[in-house]
Order: sequence, then structure tokens, then C-alpha cells
Amino acid sequence: MLRVSIRKQIGTSRKQLGAERQTRNGNNERESRQAFRLDVEFTAASGVTILFGHSGSGKTTCLRAVAGIVTPDEGRISLDERLYFDSVSGVNLPIQQRRVGLVFQDYVLFPHLTAEQNVAYGIRAGENSGGLSKAAKRERARELLALLGIEYAARQYPRELSGGESQRVALARALASDPAIVLLDEPLSAVDAKTRARLLVEIRATQQRTGIPFLYVTHNVAEVVEIGDHVIVLDEGRVIRQGSPRAVRLVQGE
Amino acid sequence: MIWPAFKLSLLVTFVATCVVVLLGTAFAFILAKRKFRGRELLDAIVTLPLVLPPTVTGYYLIVLLGRRGLIGSYVYERTGWSVTFTWWAAVIAAAVMALPLMVKSARAAIESVNPQYEIASYTLGKSELETFFRITLPLASRGIFAGVVLSFARALGEFGATLMLAGNIPGKTQTMPLAIYEAVVAGEDRQAQILALVLTAVSVTAIYLTNKLTGGRTQGM
Repeated sequence: MLRVSIRKQIGTSRKQLGAERQTRNGNNERESRQAFRLDVEFTAASGVTILFGHSGSGKTTCLRAVAGIVTPDEGRISLDERLYFDSVSGVNLPIQQRRVGLVFQDYVLFPHLTAEQNVAYGIRAGENSGGLSKAAKRERARELLALLGIEYAARQYPRELSGGESQRVALARALASDPAIVLLDEPLSAVDAKTRARLLVEIRATQQRTGIPFLYVTHNVAEVVEIGDHVIVLDEGRVIRQGSPRAVRLVQGE
Repeated sequence: MIWPAFKLSLLVTFVATCVVVLLGTAFAFILAKRKFRGRELLDAIVTLPLVLPPTVTGYYLIVLLGRRGLIGSYVYERTGWSVTFTWWAAVIAAAVMALPLMVKSARAAIESVNPQYEIASYTLGKSELETFFRITLPLASRGIFAGVVLSFARALGEFGATLMLAGNIPGKTQTMPLAIYEAVVAGEDRQAQILALVLTAVSVTAIYLTNKLTGGRTQGM
């Protein structure tokens, strides 16, 4: 169970990762006009939990706070027994130790590595796996690519992959790190409608097969209904409704 | 006079470039990725030799490393050895003069890598250092290699600081630029001509390579 209760003043770009770096270079004037206060409290159990809201509602910031990319001003984030962040006791687990699989809107596959190498890179050489051999890592990478049905693309570089293929590789890579939760940040917004429908089914199936909880950010109503077990509706930094996708009234974002 | 100077120049330049690549990349990493007080001051100090007259840089090197210098006197008292007027001095002078070019190129290349790649790597449990070597550095490799080429060319052409710290001892510290100077002063035009042509050829190649490497930027940068 993921428990999030955070507050944060947002005065920087929400669209780009690494926003802090960019605002330092002085382009924060436009963004600070969109400043708002994020104040949310929600939980996400097993299955697919959707963070739904229009652009600027704070859903992506929530996701990044869970991942450890942005730090809330105050509050608490925990997953099962593990405390990720707690402003009272000063806990702020680094990204590396949170075991979150992150799937980006624009894939962010490493361009100098093949699909297989991208996935293999993600495999944790954790304490107990004690530095997996190269062959074992390759084997595991192949398994994960097969799980997503793109074993055939193993030797291809990201620039040779279509949007749908890229996102499958990205999901396989996220799973490779043996995550406690998978965070998906509008994963289908960059692929065409046909691919979108197929990927939705596959993401759903992958979640069910792995049993790992998914936290899924989107502003698309169709995706919510198709894939969500539970939906949390955000508006202007606040949770305004939550419940099952069919019971909650959704307003099309953007 | 030509052959020993040519050999020495290549050796000095090669060693200096190796030092510059290691130091320069480390400085670039620190300057690009670490936020600390005095970061821009460090950048300024490293960059200084780019704008100072080489003789001034050479003068500071003597003040630091000379037999009676701040560091040099300490070494001399204990070992009876001084770096001045040895070929190591030529290496140090060339390295100090070439370092800014390497740091500037590498820092720009590292900073131009989309930070999302690094974040993706962190979420996969990789440390900052591992991420730097396996993700950032390969994606910045064009810019870094351009820095290497420029540094090599700068080290090869180093004159002023070398003269100050290493002197102009034929067969020992006399590199090609110094040999050209001596040939011209002595009226040996033919030798000066050959040396000048060799240096020009190397420099043109360096510029060509640099342009080629930094021209066709890929998505990763």
C-alpha cells in the first residue's frame, strides 16, 4: 500500500524533468505565474491506481515525489513498511533506494544501448543476487522483452523502434529493476491511437501477471476506464474525487 | 634539431593530453554536476590560462613550482630535485595551458545531456558515479572527444609557459615551437619552414576533426 500525504508550493515547470536545473537558468518567469499549492492525501493499493487530472493539476508532481525526483515541502510518503519521505523525522530516501520503476511519457531509452542492453542495464545487482553474470542478465532481459512481446527487437537501438515498441522496452526496463511499484507518467501520450489501445491491454496484462502495483498518471478518460482499478481525480493540486473509474465522474482533461 | 624537437614535442604533448583528459573530465564533472560555493571561482581559475598571456601563466608556474617556489621549494629541500628545466616542466606547462579547453568542452558536453537519462538511471538503482560513466559520458562523448583534440593541438603549440618553466634546452626541453623560434632567430629559414608546416598540418587536422565530431549532433545530446 502506497500512502502519500504531501504539501508543496509549485513555482517551477511541471512539464520537464530536471526543472530545477532549468529554472536556475532564468526561464521561470512564465512558470511562476502558474504557481499553485499541491496539497494531497491518497493511498494506492494493489492493481492500477490512476492519478487523473488536466495538465497543471499536480498529478505528475505527485508521481515525481513518490519517485524521489522532487522533494515535497512537508508530508509523508511510504510504501508498505518502507518510509520514503517524512518531513517530521527528516527522512528522504534517495531515488536509487526507492525501488520504483519509472516509465516516462517520451520513453527515455538510453540511445547508445540496444533494447536488450537497456533492459539489462536496469537489472539490479543487488546484495542477494550478488552481481549477476553477463549471460544471466541477458537471459533475464530477454525474458522481460518476451513478456512484453518484443523479443524480436532485442538488438535494435531506440532510434530504430516505433513509439509502441519503445514504450514496451521502457516498461520492460522498469520491471528489470525489480520495483516495489511501477510509476507511469502519461505513457501513451506519444503513441498513435491504434498502438495506444493495444498497449493499454498489454500494460493491464503486465500488471496482473507481475502483481506489482501500478500508479498511472493520465488526463485521458478512455485510459482511466480501460485500465484503472481505482481513480484519484486531482484539480489545482487537490484531490477532488476518488473511487472506482465507473463510479467517479470524470471530466476530460485538456 | 628538427628530429629531437619533433620527438620531444610528441612525447610532451601525448603525456600532457593524457593528464588533461583525466583532470579535465573530472573538473568538468564537478563543475557540471555539483553545486557548491566557489564553483564559478573554480571554473574561473581553471579557465584563467586561456585568457592570460602564456608568459604570465608561466610566471605563476615558476612561483609555484620553481626551486624557490611555494611547492617547488618544499620538494627541493626534501629531494634535491626541481621540476624546472626538465621535460616534465614542459608537460606541466602544456597541460595547464590546454586544460581550460578540455574543461570547457567537456562541461558543455556533459551539461547538454538530457537530465532525464540520468534520472532514469537513478530509478534503476544506479549511483551518480556509475550513471556518469555508463550513461552521461557515452552520450557526451562527441563533445568530450572534441575537447581532447583541441587540447592536443593546444599542448603541441605551447610556447610561452614552456619557455618560462622548462627553458629552451635542445634535446631536453626544446619542443617544436621553441625550435622554430630558435631557427628563425639563427636565420635558419629552411628548418623553421619545415617545423612550421608540420605544426600547421597538425592544427588543421585538429580543427577538421573537431568540426566533424561536433557538427553532426545526435538526439542524445
